[in-house]
Amino acid sequence: MKTDTVERALDVSAQSAPGPRRGPGALRRNLWSYLFLVPTVLLFGGFTLWPMVASWWYSFFNWDGVGNPTDWVGLANFREVLGADAFWRAFWHSFAFSLAAIFIEMPLALVLAILLNNSWLRFRNLYRLVLFLPVVATTAVIGIVIAILLDPAGGLVNRVLLDTGLVDRPVNFLGGTSTALPTLLSIDVWKGFGITLIYWLAALQTVPKDLQEAAAIDGAGFWRALRFVTLPVVTPIAIVILLLVFQRSLNTFDLVQAVTEGGPDYATDVVPTYIYRYAFDPSLRAPRYGFASAAGVVFGLLTLAITLLQAPFMKRRMTRSAS
Amino acid sequence: MKVRPALTAFTCAVALALSGCNLVGGSSESGDDADKVTVTVGLVPDPPGASQFYRQQFDEFENANPGITVKVLENPSDQQLNAIELMFQQNNAPDVFRAQDDGMDRMAARGWVAPLDEFVTPDFLKRFPEGSMDPATSGLHRDGKLMSLPLVWGPWSTLRVFLYNEDLLKKSGFAQPPKTWTELEQMAAKISADGNGKYFAYAPASAKAPAVEMLASTAVPYSVPATGIDYRTGKPATASGGMVEAVELHRRMQSAKAMMPGWESWDGSRAFKEFAAGRLAMYPTAPWHVAEVRKLAPEIKMGVAGLPVPTTGRGAYLPLSMSFSPLWSMSSKTPHKAESWKVMDFLSSAAFHKAYYEKFGTLTALESAWKAEAEKNPDQAAILKAAQETMRRAPNPALASKGGKAMLDALAEKKDLKYTDASLRSIVKNQPFAPAAAQLDKELQSYLDQVSARFTAKGQEGSAADLTFANWDPLQDFTPGG
Repeated sequence: MKTDTVERALDVSAQSAPGPRRGPGALRRNLWSYLFLVPTVLLFGGFTLWPMVASWWYSFFNWDGVGNPTDWVGLANFREVLGADAFWRAFWHSFAFSLAAIFIEMPLALVLAILLNNSWLRFRNLYRLVLFLPVVATTAVIGIVIAILLDPAGGLVNRVLLDTGLVDRPVNFLGGTSTALPTLLSIDVWKGFGITLIYWLAALQTVPKDLQEAAAIDGAGFWRALRFVTLPVVTPIAIVILLLVFQRSLNTFDLVQAVTEGGPDYATDVVPTYIYRYAFDPSLRAPRYGFASAAGVVFGLLTLAITLLQAPFMKRRMTRSAS
Repeated sequence: MKVRPALTAFTCAVALALSGCNLVGGSSESGDDADKVTVTVGLVPDPPGASQFYRQQFDEFENANPGITVKVLENPSDQQLNAIELMFQQNNAPDVFRAQDDGMDRMAARGWVAPLDEFVTPDFLKRFPEGSMDPATSGLHRDGKLMSLPLVWGPWSTLRVFLYNEDLLKKSGFAQPPKTWTELEQMAAKISADGNGKYFAYAPASAKAPAVEMLASTAVPYSVPATGIDYRTGKPATASGGMVEAVELHRRMQSAKAMMPGWESWDGSRAFKEFAAGRLAMYPTAPWHVAEVRKLAPEIKMGVAGLPVPTTGRGAYLPLSMSFSPLWSMSSKTPHKAESWKVMDFLSSAAFHKAYYEKFGTLTALESAWKAEAEKNPDQAAILKAAQETMRRAPNPALASKGGKAMLDALAEKKDLKYTDASLRSIVKNQPFAPAAAQLDKELQSYLDQVSARFTAKGQEGSAADLTFANWDPLQDFTPGG
């Protein structure tokens, strides 16, 4: 059964778009395609590429963001960033958000997606909607609501915990240096859960029905079909999901800024809030855009490095999945 | 894909016509409107209700000045400076803008603030309390030029008061607020215990525990918590006894569960909300909280007193280091200076200040606009009394010399050398503060030496001497040059 089903899966995954038609008339034939790309290229260049390149340039200056940068400091900003304990602490916290998303949010979302992908499940669209709602809810509003719910002085969660005897004194979820980060991680997982669920649902819906039916005819039960049909087919998409979730969670900013602003005692500080503090803190007499840019560049390079570290693993998984 | 040339040409023509109609003189201004000058004012919608208040006031101004239209641009308080800076960079700056305290210096350093001396008349200066507009001490002058106008009463920015709920104190048998730190600690322990989770004794005002700085300013010269430097010696003094004890007091109260849980993630408005809700018995704060509490809970039995002082006795008074805090500035790039000044003149008028006082309960820079009424209002009378009893004139290096200003600017860049983070860590992690304070002093001295050397190398003014006022007694009024 296994060989037969996998071969058919490979047939499906081997279907690919026809190769590009080259020739003297190709450019003219595709002129409209290029024309339609122009807005995207312009917007991408202006709002993504240019800021990235500019931040590289600014990171070599002691610059407060006003006028042209003139005070060239070479690698001094980078040295300061790399030597700052606060930066590494923030980086570790950012990484913790990614770990939580990858190792908690992704598997849980997959399990639920498999459940919600069953056509026999009643009200499954309603469940999907409910699970997706936190994704579209405004983070600032979520922050306020969560802060009220978790308030150690009269918040609903603490009242329930106290009334049920689970704790004998209120838990200072957002104010404790040991509890604030796990609390934010949980909220982030909850808030991002819906989008990861949608990714998985989309991935599961690429599994051809005839493959599943063939597996069933071959006598495969739920678990065997999951292991030998569903998972191999969705693995290439899973790798994309992994990258998307990794990138999204590593850049968590709004939740932290809205709920704790990186406190208490920087226990929830993440790299984006660290950068924000140096670039936009109103209490600074002169913002340090150059330093903040250097922190952003270092963070970007570290993110790239971690992403590339995953490449061999991904390649192996894809190869295994294909074979 | 087939392209229809006629359709394409038509689409392009329509798009060009639509986009171009404003480029070829399609202005909606005509008739009377065209003769009007529009003055743009960049402000923040703070305190709550300020948006409507300013619009209403500017409507009245426009009625009295038919040739001027005031356009208001609002930014959130914490984004005001960045937003104004961006507008300047885009050559789209407001004519008049709010840049408070250090924010004015930040703008002035970029050459964006216009001196106001050409507009100021003796009659205008007479609106302010006598002597308060002296360029050496006003706080509004830079290099002898008037660069800003104030909104609030001079002591308002640095005054700190102690709010207490008389009913909650009485429940625990206390008829008076604490006078000393020991009393504060003892009362806090008892009140929180009596509150049994329903109400709590004390909170250090917000997440960064500004209460530490407030109380420390009754023990050590205000410059120690503010900058780390003792202005009497020009040397770092974070590890001085009064400063350390102010942190330790809070550490002990936190450890003893006398403080309201959750303050570690409070924003700046949470304390007065909890106080107004009857869940917080007492806390030190800036005086504007008094009016906010009264708005939320008109009937609450709120007492307003001076801050408790160290048990060994007061070591310093709260500082009056300048007559006013800067607030309203005129853009150096405005093409409508005369009209902008008219708006600023209005913002400094008795009518505007009286309206502001009546709306927000804030004591404003023109004492004549509110003094008589404030003395009859128990809350405001208590604030006036606290100011009189707990504040003294203090030296201000930024006003005293260019070198002093340069040194303070350099110190402001190194926020990590301030006591705040170490103090917070000590309180929430229950760690002794003294070792961290000693380390901070060491690093601060090293930084001061570096900065002085840098200034010397560049031939600029700025050294520890500019931060030293050897004759200053923080228990007495300071006289510049005295």
